Amino acid sequence: MIEKIRKNFLDLVIITAAFFAVLPVFGLNRTTDFIIFCIFVLGFNLLYGYMGRLSFGHMLYLGVGAYTVTLFAEHVSKNPFLAIIASICAGALIGVIIGPIIVRTTGACFALINLAFNQVGYFLALVALSRWTGGEDGMSAYFTKLGLFDFGKKPVIFGFCLFSLLLTYLILKKLISSPYGILIKSIKENEIRVKFLGYNTFKYKWVTFIISTTISAFAGALSILNYGYVTPSFIDPSRAVEVIFATLIGGAGSLYGALIGGVAYMAISNYLASYISRWEMFLGFAMLIIVFRFRKGIWGYIKDKFTRQAEGIVR
Amino acid sequence: MKENPILETNDVTINFNGLVAVDSVNFKINEGESVGIIGPNGAGKTTFFNLLTGFFPPTKGKIFFYGRDITDKPPHKRVMMGIIRTFQLVSVFDHLSVLDNLILSNIKSSGISYSIGRFFFSEAHKPALKKICLEALKILGIEKKAEIMTSELSYGDKRKLEIAVALSMNPKILLLDEPFAGLSDQEIVEVSRIIKEFKKGFSMIIIEHKISRIVELVERLCVMHEGRLIAEGIPDQVLCEPLVREVYWGKEDGLVCSV
Repeated sequence: MIEKIRKNFLDLVIITAAFFAVLPVFGLNRTTDFIIFCIFVLGFNLLYGYMGRLSFGHMLYLGVGAYTVTLFAEHVSKNPFLAIIASICAGALIGVIIGPIIVRTTGACFALINLAFNQVGYFLALVALSRWTGGEDGMSAYFTKLGLFDFGKKPVIFGFCLFSLLLTYLILKKLISSPYGILIKSIKENEIRVKFLGYNTFKYKWVTFIISTTISAFAGALSILNYGYVTPSFIDPSRAVEVIFATLIGGAGSLYGALIGGVAYMAISNYLASYISRWEMFLGFAMLIIVFRFRKGIWGYIKDKFTRQAEGIVR
Repeated sequence: MKENPILETNDVTINFNGLVAVDSVNFKINEGESVGIIGPNGAGKTTFFNLLTGFFPPTKGKIFFYGRDITDKPPHKRVMMGIIRTFQLVSVFDHLSVLDNLILSNIKSSGISYSIGRFFFSEAHKPALKKICLEALKILGIEKKAEIMTSELSYGDKRKLEIAVALSMNPKILLLDEPFAGLSDQEIVEVSRIIKEFKKGFSMIIIEHKISRIVELVERLCVMHEGRLIAEGIPDQVLCEPLVREVYWGKEDGLVCSV
């Protein structure tokens, strides 16, 4: 037990240290952005990496969080914490509502039905509800100062986002090492077999979907906290590829993989973009290399290498 | 023997767009009884299992479990009632450790209560649960392999693991779909021993197409051919029936009527 706590604590220290290490390179603003993106990748990875359901429409859930937090601040209360809680609830709610339709499907159908919902959401934010969402121009979000939590100050946002990431990490870690974690990994491999172990897989897939949408919405809300305004690009389905790339680069199906992928993707897209204007091409090549050479992503590769070394020593 | 059917089918039929895979089968199995279903390939044996376990609903007919109509119950509900099956192609989770394969089935039957919160947030390898799983592996003689990836097991060990998973779910009736397919002679002996040793109290149906392997495991034999039950009775008798001999060995074979 104590050993477990120590191990978790070590994880948190490593993650914190890693982000402080990249802080001087990328600056406060961007590093905060990295952290938020990592939370998004963690949410996506639960669905794709652990349960084997690839979604092409995860921007919708990020967008729901982003718009909810802005609209809440505009119309209800400028308290940032209440706004974040509202957007978390909105993320869970959309998972509850469209989950039963989506989780019935698998494979390409699952990916595309997510995309379809995302298109609907994009249209609503951009056109249909533009009276409230500001359409293409988007809208700004202002939050009040609450004691120490002055979200106008960048270091405060950085600290809060890092705390959020560590919290998300811990919750997910707990989830995936529980019987539920074994269950969703089993669903990834052979859902029918899980049914014949006496589990109503539909229920668990739905719950996983809700957890994933909730975390994504949380990440969306934090983005608004960082940027201060929302635009339709937060719900743009064509950006779904970012989170998919990040998951694959880092290694699907592991928490560290998601974090490494998130940072690596953001580093490539931020750093490279200032040198090469068409940096996406580099990303394409990187993807090719990953697909052929590093099937399990960066983290999967490192892990394999280390376990092989360890086995070698034993032998 | 007192008639006390645990599982009963009434005119069960399934029609796959014109192909009648299982045709008006009336089948009954008593509590504690072991029945073998034999028949040539494509006779509808596995399809019949799929109907019993709820893989798909029958086009016609009813299925009863302890007299209760379960025709429309989904698979997981039937499993909870105690209808447990294995698959023709070994079906275990290759990307989980051997131990993890046993966790999900043992949670339901171990008696350790799992509330929703504990299911989602407690450590999967709780000592009490782990002990139960390891004991199950010990019986199979593969407890040393508990921590390795299931994909590294031999096919025979995977089959044993699958049977251990099935047994750990406290079956009331166990349906084994060709448990010996693809195993070496020695493994067949081992698996056969495991089945015999742990078949306590519950009923069992075994599908097989090599008759010799199951004769000693079952009390009654049913023969399926083209979706129908064409004969049933004690093994020796069934095998001597002319119709059975015809579908199994062709019209004139000169075989002596023995197993």
